[in-house]
Amino acid sequence: MSRLAIVLARLALFLALIGAWEVLPRLGILNARLLPPLSDVLSMLLQLVGRANVQEAMMVTAAEVVVAFVIAVPLGALIGVAVAESEYFGEIFKPMLFYVFSVPKSIFLPVFILVLGIGFHQKVAYAVFSTLFIVIMSATAAVESVKPEHVLVARSYGATRRQILFRVYVPSMVPILLETLRIAMIFNFTAVMIAEMYASRTGIGHLIANWGENFQMRQLFAGVILLSMVAIFFNETIRWMETKCSSWRT
Amino acid sequence: MQQLADVTPGRVGAAGASVEVAGVSHVYEGRDGRVPALEDITLTVGAGRFTVIVGPSGCGKTSLLMMMAGLRRQTSGTILCAGRPILDPDPQRVGVVFQEASLFPWQTAMENVEFPLALRHVPAAERHRRSASMLNLVGLDGFGGRYPHELSGGMKQRVSIARGLVQDPPVLLMDEPFAALDEQTRMTMGHELLRIWSQTSKTVVFITHSLTEAVYLADEVLVMSARPGRIIDRIEVDLPRPRTYEMMATDRFGRLRERIWQQIRKPD
Repeated sequence: MSRLAIVLARLALFLALIGAWEVLPRLGILNARLLPPLSDVLSMLLQLVGRANVQEAMMVTAAEVVVAFVIAVPLGALIGVAVAESEYFGEIFKPMLFYVFSVPKSIFLPVFILVLGIGFHQKVAYAVFSTLFIVIMSATAAVESVKPEHVLVARSYGATRRQILFRVYVPSMVPILLETLRIAMIFNFTAVMIAEMYASRTGIGHLIANWGENFQMRQLFAGVILLSMVAIFFNETIRWMETKCSSWRT
Repeated sequence: MQQLADVTPGRVGAAGASVEVAGVSHVYEGRDGRVPALEDITLTVGAGRFTVIVGPSGCGKTSLLMMMAGLRRQTSGTILCAGRPILDPDPQRVGVVFQEASLFPWQTAMENVEFPLALRHVPAAERHRRSASMLNLVGLDGFGGRYPHELSGGMKQRVSIARGLVQDPPVLLMDEPFAALDEQTRMTMGHELLRIWSQTSKTVVFITHSLTEAVYLADEVLVMSARPGRIIDRIEVDLPRPRTYEMMATDRFGRLRERIWQQIRKPD
């Protein structure tokens, strides 16, 4: 199939879904009380974005997501590199990290609430906890992706430790680290949402949970669209950066 | 294969220096105690000579080369290059050419060649001048902007050779550089290497598994035994230079090859 045909087919699929969302509830084939027509949802979205309480909730959620991300990614990367590079750390921490990695983090949410309450700190702490392990695992993989031959080449030309770090390790690791950012954000965003929906006084997740409980389906779907767009935008930005350095991959 | 650019003839750079290996042994700590890997290796590679080391897998020939490059430390014995001991990597004295995967995929051919210079903070203009002249020497004019994944296996090894020579070291160490190439490319690369060698007069120590390659390239072939590696034979290859592909069909070539084979297959 040609490139154009694929693009057209994707566009057709997208339009078909949108069309179905609009038409099926209007025709009564789907229950409009459960799935309001898309145009209703979009006009609600425009209204919501103008409301002060929604704007405030968005700011709170954004702050939680950003703070957690900024803590979890460097911290996880640092631990990951230490575990991969130091035989000592690796031997001691690896098994435990792998065990904890496999456990769903959401089951610890009640503990976070009991210890930290249901405010900003708890959301951030829980999101960091949820994101940290995937970052550690990815950073470990990134270090292991550095080819020993390349380090040997650098050493044979007299590279210092610092030069080996910045001229061999960093460029070797960039493709995997970018992917790590992307996946970390998915985990991070999910964690903040779960925490907000479970117990919170504000935040978009809290509003969505409320709308759901009150059967306000237009608001609920408007929130879903809003968050989806934010998440897709972030994800695609990083993916675009990944393709920029795809020629590095071997 | 793409047409490679014409090469400027004439001598390039500083001439070779001798490498002297005296009583080098190496023992490493294995699971079952101390394992002797190299035993009392003594050899001299004269300035500008082309020496090939062959031997069974695991005989320690790569270890020996790594020691000559200062990348690994022997347990005992000394290695002199240009009259001074090699203790650490010294790219001014020794250039190393590794197997195929050694180019950095995130750098262009030119940037790869310039890497040793960039480590020493050589100004960009000087780096470009030297990498361009090295790419010309190895027949890659016009390919400097390509990334490794855009080059054939043979071209990648040309880039590796250019990188090894860019600081104009008197000695070039080559660790099975053509092992990953197909037979035809391998022959072409061997021929090209001899041309580059005759133009630069470097001292070359070359490791290979291929006996044909060994005889075709070498002034002298050193045969190593299975572990612990020892030098069990030295064969002077008295075929005239420049070497031609036709020589491979001669009796003389066959006898030399046969003699090396007899040594390698000999049980200890």
